[in-house]
Amino acid sequence: MRKFFGTSVVAISAAAMLALAGCGSGRDGDSGSGGEAAKGFAANSLIGVALPAKTSENWVLAGDLFTNGLKEAGFQADVQYAGASTTVADQQAQITAMTTKGAKVIVIGATDAAQLSTQVAAAHAAGVKVIAYDRLITNTPDLDYYVAFDNFKVGQLQGQALLDGMKAKKPNGPYNIELFSGSPDDNNAGVFFNGAMSVLKPEIDKGNVVVASGQKDVKQTAIQGWKAEGAQARMDQLLTSTYGSKELDGVLSPNDTLARAILTSVKGAGKPTPVVTGQDSEVESVKSIVAGEQYMTINKDTRNLVKETINMVKALQAGNAPQVNDTKSYNNGSKVVDTYLLPPVAVTKANAAEAYANDPKLAPLTK
Amino acid sequence: MSRLKDLQKNLFGGTTSNARQFGMIFTLVAIVVLFQILTDGLTLRSDNLIALFQQNSYILILAIGMLMVIVAGHIDLSVGSVAAFAGILVAKSMAEWDLPWPVAILFGLAIGAIIGAWQGFWVAYIGVPAFIVTLAGMLLFRGGNQFIGNANTIPVPEGFREIGSGFLPEFGPNTGYNNATLLLGLAAAVAVVWREIQARKTRRAMDADPAPMWISILRMAIMVGVIAFASLRFASGRVGTSFPISGIILLVLVIAYSFYTRNTAGGRHIYAVGGNSRAAELSGVKLKRVNFFVMMNMSVLAALAGMIFVARSAASGPQDGNGWELDAIAAVFIGGAAVSGGIGTISGSIVGGLVMAVLNNGLQLMGVGTDRVQIIKGLVLLLAVAIDVYNKSQGRFSVIGSLMRPFRREDSAPPASPPDAEREPAKAAVSG
Repeated sequence: MRKFFGTSVVAISAAAMLALAGCGSGRDGDSGSGGEAAKGFAANSLIGVALPAKTSENWVLAGDLFTNGLKEAGFQADVQYAGASTTVADQQAQITAMTTKGAKVIVIGATDAAQLSTQVAAAHAAGVKVIAYDRLITNTPDLDYYVAFDNFKVGQLQGQALLDGMKAKKPNGPYNIELFSGSPDDNNAGVFFNGAMSVLKPEIDKGNVVVASGQKDVKQTAIQGWKAEGAQARMDQLLTSTYGSKELDGVLSPNDTLARAILTSVKGAGKPTPVVTGQDSEVESVKSIVAGEQYMTINKDTRNLVKETINMVKALQAGNAPQVNDTKSYNNGSKVVDTYLLPPVAVTKANAAEAYANDPKLAPLTK
Repeated sequence: MSRLKDLQKNLFGGTTSNARQFGMIFTLVAIVVLFQILTDGLTLRSDNLIALFQQNSYILILAIGMLMVIVAGHIDLSVGSVAAFAGILVAKSMAEWDLPWPVAILFGLAIGAIIGAWQGFWVAYIGVPAFIVTLAGMLLFRGGNQFIGNANTIPVPEGFREIGSGFLPEFGPNTGYNNATLLLGLAAAVAVVWREIQARKTRRAMDADPAPMWISILRMAIMVGVIAFASLRFASGRVGTSFPISGIILLVLVIAYSFYTRNTAGGRHIYAVGGNSRAAELSGVKLKRVNFFVMMNMSVLAALAGMIFVARSAASGPQDGNGWELDAIAAVFIGGAAVSGGIGTISGSIVGGLVMAVLNNGLQLMGVGTDRVQIIKGLVLLLAVAIDVYNKSQGRFSVIGSLMRPFRREDSAPPASPPDAEREPAKAAVSG
């Protein structure tokens, strides 16, 4: 009896499973595997866009631009933001859902660039092209393209603007400057700093420009977490320790928030306004530039970045290789990613009106 | 007795209890069918089912521990932070001390045990309410995560990633399916049938009336059918994918903890404590030990969940674990646990977690944004519990309620005896 039961149990179950197996289709093999860009895909295909949480205006703007731009180009757009609290898990689930839905291209503005490799791998295996937008997704060999502003160039523009600005105020050196850099845990911070130093170093070596405090190392100049109060505190210290009698001519600041903090500190000490650089075209800084306080900022126009990304999608759709202009510099830890770098634009009081002409928010400030 | 009555009593249990858990099974099926239609069949496609399990296994693992905590009358708000803290330490231990990954997993579980002992100590032996202890723990270990990780993202090695993103291996002849998953499904089907037969045998040995044969067969057929469908789906994913390893870990935990909470004295003590702690203590239950155990156990499972998430994400990041406690707590309550403690089952919590997971996944497949997904999930949580509370207060028989039966215990109770007396001894005390 027992034995009979045992065998019958296995037999019944196996029969049931086999019966169902007969109805099932089995696996479809790896028919989906991509690789050949030559094929292209249907013009009305689904394009996924996964963006971080709506914490800055920039991402909200990018999302709207993607939605409209992709629709105009004839694609179906699925633009998703990560939730406010469970950002990484949300983004992972969104990317997986886009893959399941059969998106042909997924554009990712990573919320944490190192925690998406599993999802990117799954998308790649399903034949989806993955484009990293603004932030390079690291530790994955399955990323296809990267599109971003040229951050080294940002630094170079800042360095050059600093020199130009100081020369305009005082035709002959030597000039006293101080250096600031961004958060040490942000990969981009070092890139900005190195870009700027590539311009400033020759002048410093010549003695034409002097870092009066002697603090030239990126470790000494870094501001943890890009915090304004950190920059202000460091500037306060520098003013007391070094600029009791000396004149401060310029400050290299990596972004607008820090630039304004530095200016606040200088003003508080009652010193004349030095030439201060910036980046990001924040509203307050644009006002400050127009008022003649902050010297320059960098305009990284989100519109152009989105437009370029959509151009990549269009090229992939037609079966062409998208245009890239850097196939050497962006190593994400697993491979060197084909990259399209957009040139950033340096903005000073002189060209502010022209630079922000297309920006509905900033244009009125320049008039 | 008519055949229909027979069916109702024996297949579904035929009692008014557990309407909520049971409602949830019904809701789960309804939601799956709804999204299957709305998404044109994407919901039940192999790749989506596989992704669904991978994405939610860590929340479901947390729900197991949370169920026990809630049944004992406590709450644990620190699970997300504990998961993140264990995750960053494990990632660091591999990146900086070069611990081999199996050792690192043990290390992570040990961290969970130490944290759990810390929290259990305050709850059980000092008597600080668990809400406060774990609120403190939430801050403490979130801060610890940021402090140790310096807000950086730390990648983990390939081998370790398997527990979060790995699959059952491919082997054997090419059957068009993943053979390992098929074998797993076969084993599950055999287990279901074997249990049914054992239950019948036990009933005969005890001189109780076994359910009519045709009911047993119908029940087995439904279960085997579901298992076969699921295993074929999981086995027919893209080559290289199959049933996820994190799903296996989850299955093992569900079976082990279900057995523990249902069939062992230690497990029943948790229900007794949650139902009426004074009465339990007077009956000889070691109150402090039970409280200490559930809190400690929760942290160990949280550490495991954290490691699985880190493995799936291929890195430990500063945002890991944010909001997990709420997902786990929601799963447990949707799955029929009582806020006052003493009531709830592991399988119910898993179903509750799956309801949320399918809802989340289905809405995402439809391209609904996270803002609206959160609103919908909030309403579902509220409605699920409200409907049940209302039904209970009306003393109504719920058809849905009896459907839960097969998921709780394979043997069918004789119609005469109150079937829940043994399973939930504390219920009367709570609802009274």
